[in-house]
Amino acid sequence: MPWQRAGHDPTLALLTLRWPAGQNRGLSSLQLRSILACMVANQELQGNSPDHTTNGRESRLFSRYEIDARIHDEMFGQDGTPHRHCRRLHDALNAMPLDRIATMQDHAARSFLEDGITFSVYGAEGPQERIIPIDLLPRLIDASDWQVIEDGLVQRLQALNKFLGDIYGSARILADGVIPVDLVYGCTQYRVEMRGLTPKHGVYVSVCGSDIIRDTDGFKVLEDNLRSPSGVSYMLANRQAVSASLRTLYRLHSVRPIGHYGALLRKCLAEMAPSGVSDPCIVLLTPGVHNAAYYEHMFLAREMGIELVQGSDLTVHKGFVYMRTTRGPRRVDVVYRRINDEYIDPLVFRPDSRLGVPGLFLAFRLGNVAIANAPGTGVADDKAVYSYVPDMIRYYLGEEPLLPNVETFLCRERKGLEYTLDNLDTLVVKCVGESGGQGMLVGPHSTRDERNSFAKKVRSNPSNYISQPAINFSRSPCLSPEGAVARHVDLRPFILQGNKTRLVPGAFCRVALRAGSLVVNSSQGGGGKDVWVLEN
Amino acid sequence: MLSRDAQNLYWMSRYIERAVQVCRFLTNQLDAIHDSPHDDIERGWKRIFLSLNRQPAGSGLMPNPGDDYFMLFDAYTLTDDLAFEPSNPDAIFNCLSKARENARQIRSVISHEMWTSLNVAFLDKKDLRLLDIWEERPRDSFANASIAVETFRGIVEATMYRDSGWHFFRLGRFVERALLTCSLIDAQLEAFPTRDSSAGEAWSSLLNICAAQSTFRRLHPMEYMATHALDFLVCDSRSPNSVAHALQEIAGAHAVIAAEWRRSPTRCSDRPVGRARALIEYEWPDRDPEDDAAVRSMLNFVADATRKFSEDVESVYFNYPITDDAIA
Repeated sequence: MPWQRAGHDPTLALLTLRWPAGQNRGLSSLQLRSILACMVANQELQGNSPDHTTNGRESRLFSRYEIDARIHDEMFGQDGTPHRHCRRLHDALNAMPLDRIATMQDHAARSFLEDGITFSVYGAEGPQERIIPIDLLPRLIDASDWQVIEDGLVQRLQALNKFLGDIYGSARILADGVIPVDLVYGCTQYRVEMRGLTPKHGVYVSVCGSDIIRDTDGFKVLEDNLRSPSGVSYMLANRQAVSASLRTLYRLHSVRPIGHYGALLRKCLAEMAPSGVSDPCIVLLTPGVHNAAYYEHMFLAREMGIELVQGSDLTVHKGFVYMRTTRGPRRVDVVYRRINDEYIDPLVFRPDSRLGVPGLFLAFRLGNVAIANAPGTGVADDKAVYSYVPDMIRYYLGEEPLLPNVETFLCRERKGLEYTLDNLDTLVVKCVGESGGQGMLVGPHSTRDERNSFAKKVRSNPSNYISQPAINFSRSPCLSPEGAVARHVDLRPFILQGNKTRLVPGAFCRVALRAGSLVVNSSQGGGGKDVWVLEN
Repeated sequence: MLSRDAQNLYWMSRYIERAVQVCRFLTNQLDAIHDSPHDDIERGWKRIFLSLNRQPAGSGLMPNPGDDYFMLFDAYTLTDDLAFEPSNPDAIFNCLSKARENARQIRSVISHEMWTSLNVAFLDKKDLRLLDIWEERPRDSFANASIAVETFRGIVEATMYRDSGWHFFRLGRFVERALLTCSLIDAQLEAFPTRDSSAGEAWSSLLNICAAQSTFRRLHPMEYMATHALDFLVCDSRSPNSVAHALQEIAGAHAVIAAEWRRSPTRCSDRPVGRARALIEYEWPDRDPEDDAAVRSMLNFVADATRKFSEDVESVYFNYPITDDAIA
């Protein structure tokens, strides 16, 4: 808009227009914003529903919100008052009529449906398109907390990339006995085909999505996703929908922008192009329209302005990769693949794969094309290898981990197995090769029969399982027909690596929408929230 | 442009054109069943199904397949077959669904407005059944669906970048239109031969189906003569719904696509389309207006040429092998 020039804040312009001349002298920008927040809340009240009680009973958003002193709450302290950085949002939302908030929530959900922001769920009736439920109430993270997350994740990704370079090279870390040899070489995600192969800049993982939870002690990394982490499109879509619905509050909160994620990703991928290529042709390789994350693949291709290709669009000819265009074949320099290792090349991995490109791995070995993330990165996000990430950080970087892991017991070890079997009712037991909340037992929410049946599985193949204490990770207010209710939330920021590490100040916040549930996966009834990382 | 993206644009455009055409079939036919003679209604259904080269679902159970059995079906069944029948690839809902699937595959290259418009048109029909609209004015539902799809095309016109994708979209639209119009006229001559002097209304409804009624009335205000209607729908290139216009647009779109092909000349020849255009321009005017068989033969020639061209487009631009020759 013509009046939105650099350095000019339209919010303050609005205030200046409404404020009697001279009366805003001596007020800081922060004070002006606070005054305006109250004005906005009051105006919304007066303009829509002056009477926000129902049958004489108070019906404000947070009037029935319950705080549990044992669980960290993202908006409230243990005494029930909002955290300092959440006060403005809390006051403004609490002043709004519930029906108005519900209408905004409906609009946001409707916009997801019309935009086709969906994921696929596979059931007896074949693939079904579903929208991921969006919760209108944003989760706020203040600048100092975000700095902890950012520093910790940058450190972690650097160590993970060094680890991958090491185990596919000289394997010092194994020789030095820091990590058991059989844990790495016995991992199904270890790709022997990658031995001796070093991608440009030593970067195996260009895109990482780490799941972070927070308990009363602070942030912890629950797991790293190093293969094809998904969810970033929902992070951006949630921002778009929520900032459009709560536009004035959004503007008043000095939220750090995340809309440049596509440009950053493209930059990182371009940095991975084979040497000598100045204007690389980058493509995103998708399994196709029936994949659960297809919307995200399309979204990212559009954001980056690159072609969204399927295996059948690519051909390898004399060691180079080409895509079929209407102007003839075009050489491809970087493949951002969103299909699993075992499907990318039927000549090297699964011969029955129809999703991949025959010869792609050969072109990669020859250095004629970059594949991001490189094949074989899954070994570093194996749930058993995860427990050694703090050791990797100490070993490769000589630093203490800035973000701790969740305590993990390996059932492959005798003590770990015994402890797991003795405490099934208090632990979360996970299958090391599964993802998406599958193959998991949440002890405190399980029945005796479920625990007995799971114990049999663990005993029959202990190496396949790890266990962690069931952490009551933090809760955040979510909208329900009765007002705000507390639900468990996690956080998935996305870290990018080209010739340097980058991340946008934001994350996909997953919500366990069922009361008391600790499972946030979208395929199991989870939803999403916008995350507002605030300026200092 | 990625070949698969171009292919999706091409087919999306074809499905959209087909959906509009079937909407117009139904709007027109449901209007006719109120006040037309019984025989005309029956022949009207026959014209529709012949032009789509389809027999209504269940007609195989008839004692003598191939007989004029449309009297045995009720309007509800036939409408359902054309609108919602899952086994009918030309049913409106199936065409919309396929067009949306094509659009879903290429969301990264089409405008946001295009996607939203088509997605909303699809979602509006997604859970609809004929039973839901039959008691009201079903013809209005089909007229509205036609408007929604035409609105989508308007949005395409207004927002789509004019690169080769645009020309493939154009190509799909006019290939489908040429084929549908040839097939429709062929079915018209089968159901309502030109020697049938009482078929004025049928020619009027044919013009309605082709969205050419009002222009035709302006040019020929006195009466509906079959020969005038045929000339208008086949060789008047100023009418956007004529075969001549469709062929002209195909040639124009392909000229741009062929010029972009890196290796010149492209192996996709538009000679079949050229021959069809020459036939319409030079042989059509000399035809015997009473000789329906000759007219139908000409139209079959045009349809075959268009089909051949479409196959060439598929093999040359969408599914070509990558060889040294192609890379050089």
